[in-house]
Amino acid sequence: MEALQYWIQGFAVATLPMNLLYAFIGCVLGTLIGVLPGLGPAAGTAILIPVTFSLDPIGGIIMLAAIYYGAMYGGTITSVLVNVPGEAASVITCLDGYQMAKQGRAGPALGIAAIGSFIGGTFATLALMVVSLPLANFALRFGPPEVFSLLVVGLSLVTGLSGRSLLAALIMTLFGLMLAMIGMDPVRGAPRFTFGIPPLYDGIGFIPVVMGLFGVGEILLSMEAPVLEVIKTKLTDLLPKREEWKVSTGAIGRGTIIGFFLGIIPGIGAIIPTFLAYAVEKKVSKHPEKFGTGVIEGVASPETANNSYANGAMVPLLTLGIPGYPTLAVLMGAFIIHGLTPGPFLFKERPDVVWGLIASLSLGNVMLLILNLPLVGLWAKLLEIRYQYLYPGILLFCILGAYSLNQSVFDVGVMVAFGVLGYIFRKLDWPLAPTVLALILGPMMERALRTSLEMSGGDLSILFTRPISAVLLIAAAIVLLTPAVRLLGRRAGKD
Amino acid sequence: MKRAWQIMCMAFVALSVFTLVLSFEYPYKDRLGPGPAFFPVWMSIITGVLSLALFFQTTWGKSVAYAAATLIPERQGVLRILAVLVALVGSLALLDPLGFRISLFLFLLFLPLGLGERNWWVILIFAIAGSFGIFHLFYYGLKVPLPMGVFGI
Amino acid sequence: MKGRFVISLIFAFMTAIVGSAYTADYPTKPITLMVPYPAGGSSDVGARIVAAIAEKQIGQPIVVVNKAGAGGQVGWTELARQKADGYFLGGINLPHLLTAVLDPERKAVFKAEDIVPIISQALDPTTISVRPDSPWKTLKDLIEDAKKRPGQIPAGIVGYLQDDEIGYFQFAEAAGVELRRVYFDGAAPAITALLGKHVDLLFCTVADNYTQWKAGRIRMLTIMDKERTKFYPDLPTTAELGYPTVISASTRGIAGPKGIPDPILKKLYDVFKNAMMTKEHMDRLENAGMPVKIMVGEEFVKYYWESYKVAKKWVDHVRKK
Repeated sequence: MEALQYWIQGFAVATLPMNLLYAFIGCVLGTLIGVLPGLGPAAGTAILIPVTFSLDPIGGIIMLAAIYYGAMYGGTITSVLVNVPGEAASVITCLDGYQMAKQGRAGPALGIAAIGSFIGGTFATLALMVVSLPLANFALRFGPPEVFSLLVVGLSLVTGLSGRSLLAALIMTLFGLMLAMIGMDPVRGAPRFTFGIPPLYDGIGFIPVVMGLFGVGEILLSMEAPVLEVIKTKLTDLLPKREEWKVSTGAIGRGTIIGFFLGIIPGIGAIIPTFLAYAVEKKVSKHPEKFGTGVIEGVASPETANNSYANGAMVPLLTLGIPGYPTLAVLMGAFIIHGLTPGPFLFKERPDVVWGLIASLSLGNVMLLILNLPLVGLWAKLLEIRYQYLYPGILLFCILGAYSLNQSVFDVGVMVAFGVLGYIFRKLDWPLAPTVLALILGPMMERALRTSLEMSGGDLSILFTRPISAVLLIAAAIVLLTPAVRLLGRRAGKD
Repeated sequence: MKRAWQIMCMAFVALSVFTLVLSFEYPYKDRLGPGPAFFPVWMSIITGVLSLALFFQTTWGKSVAYAAATLIPERQGVLRILAVLVALVGSLALLDPLGFRISLFLFLLFLPLGLGERNWWVILIFAIAGSFGIFHLFYYGLKVPLPMGVFGI
Repeated sequence: MKGRFVISLIFAFMTAIVGSAYTADYPTKPITLMVPYPAGGSSDVGARIVAAIAEKQIGQPIVVVNKAGAGGQVGWTELARQKADGYFLGGINLPHLLTAVLDPERKAVFKAEDIVPIISQALDPTTISVRPDSPWKTLKDLIEDAKKRPGQIPAGIVGYLQDDEIGYFQFAEAAGVELRRVYFDGAAPAITALLGKHVDLLFCTVADNYTQWKAGRIRMLTIMDKERTKFYPDLPTTAELGYPTVISASTRGIAGPKGIPDPILKKLYDVFKNAMMTKEHMDRLENAGMPVKIMVGEEFVKYYWESYKVAKKWVDHVRKK
């Protein structure tokens, strides 16, 4: 098959010593950037674009791609170790990953994340080669109405994260939706709920809110009774236990498929694949109530999903020249700066670049694995620093990260304020994840609904008359209504 | 804990009312359908209803198994939390006027002390590395802009 | 000992303050170039390219900073607030900035006079794009069809009250047609929608089309400019097709807050003009499909205010409804 032949040729390019070096440097830089909470892959990649100017196009692209997925893994590290998600894709990992770290099992958590990411990424890359064009064309059929319905499905997943109280989870979701209303509305561009504060014109900033709710809130919580005895992690504890390997396999498999297929739909964003994979994993699990306390599938699943998503998102980028994801837009910008135009034309014109990149992605996954597995021990050791230094240090990076988003002290203020809120909600045991989910999905949903209505001239039925959209809405209804039905059923049974 | 839940529910009810009132400033309908006020209005109403429902469930319903955690932590804990908050808010306030290096130097100096650390030398080194060192790395090394205060530092 | 230490500290601070007042030695510290759009977009890419070239000339780093939001409004609000000492510059887009100021609903806190254009980088005319299999082979086909089905044909527009919508208004007025407008936040979702058959035509710019056009997935009916563009030499202009008044473009450039002293301004003109005229800059922009147009100082200021008049006409038209 032609593609296979190109892939092999691609490896010839990717394994050129200089390109290997670039990929390696990219992985390292990317991981470092990802570890810094708030900076995020998009900004980090953008900052490093000039660094690649002096390189040849292929080398430059390889380095940037390596930075991109290196940064994604870096975000995982902070999610697990200190409950601060580096960006949207890492939020779900906090739920079980951080719990595992608290139990002294940061090693297995990071390890399974690396392995899952590797497997997810590699399979996605392979699938990328085989199915690119036909799949990408199918994904194009996801217009605004379909995206809206998919987002509704995403939001309905919140019922799976309800924990203690379904009502509390729903209220937290609505809280997130209300926060999402701040800023310019997608209808007329008029500012809503901004109280005349210019930084709020664009909304409340997802990253500062998340860093506050999860990171700062967690630190405040820990301050109540900081672990005065350091949890020492033995080296043997660095790898997952045998039973854990078994459940992880399923999680990784499911995560890969979910991530890849959602990746080819442009414009979804990384949070949906991770939430969906986590929710699915919880549904098929033999012990769903343990999710959130530190089960390894809770880490394996979203981590795999987000890497296979990231690779899957390369499909629309390389085949159609459409970046489905902000960081990919930066990558595409980098392509352009180096004089390459992504799209099927690139496949024909410069197969060496495309296949070199694809081969480099595969290699990069391996490199990340090799780089990070030994380092897992090192990262875990970081947790052993005395809390009087560890937490101020973490806060330092949080402040740095929050500020560097928009060079705005306001964002840091938002983070601190939500830190307090996060602390309060944790004390009450109200779930934080639904708020975060809603904060991201809310604006997307409003925009998608609005655009759908523009397309149909004001007719809401467009959501139901288009097949894919209708199917998705029915699925969402089922997901939402099942707990309610079960609740009623239980009540009826009791009477 | 039950009391705390009730308070939070009422807080959300208050928030819903507040948002609802504010929403009426914006047009409800638009040329094509929902206007800017549409979603906020419904969000507020639903939130209010759900919060009231939770309030009732908490007060008169079957008791949800609350976590055993006590609401107010012990005195040392409270002091530590306050230390963190004061440090955070303080560095926030000083960030623009005094710049990154000075604010964070003070932050990294004050907080370990506030948390009970007494080893002055280590704290000092930590504070300098964290503020000036990190600044240098990010501003000059990675070209990430960081605030420089009135004194240009 | 302590006294001396304090005094030397005071001296140090004083020198720092006094030193930064010296404009003759401008620049003595890094310059910030703020881009009011997210990283990776065409505005960001253009800014980073020129910054990397110009900073070698100017002798100080030019740090590109993203302050995205509200279609650029967040960034420009920030720009208007900054000290006019030449150390904070911003990328501007016309007519985006002008409509943000003119549209009362946007509640902009700055005025058009608060920002002074320095130099323009690219002028990207609006085009009307369709899929290759579209039944409309020429603009005339589209107009005839639109007259038969007023308000029915879904047309994608990139950005609310920006260059592409102004292009639509001019076209609609001149040709006497009405289309069903569907708005998109950026070029990428808009093009996706066109390719996915969710809209049947698209108002976007020359640069937006480039990648897809090269791949043969997009075809254009016309370009709203006085002359043909070298990127699409076979594409007829609106003037050639009988609608010479339909002119619209997105112009990108660099500006500063009002009140930058003349000697510093002059230095900026020279440095950026030279940077933009280098082969490296031209090549990189051309690879991205961005038509370079360099207007320096007075020329750009004049263009700014002409665009203001056009923008005002259409904002009033929309808001009166």
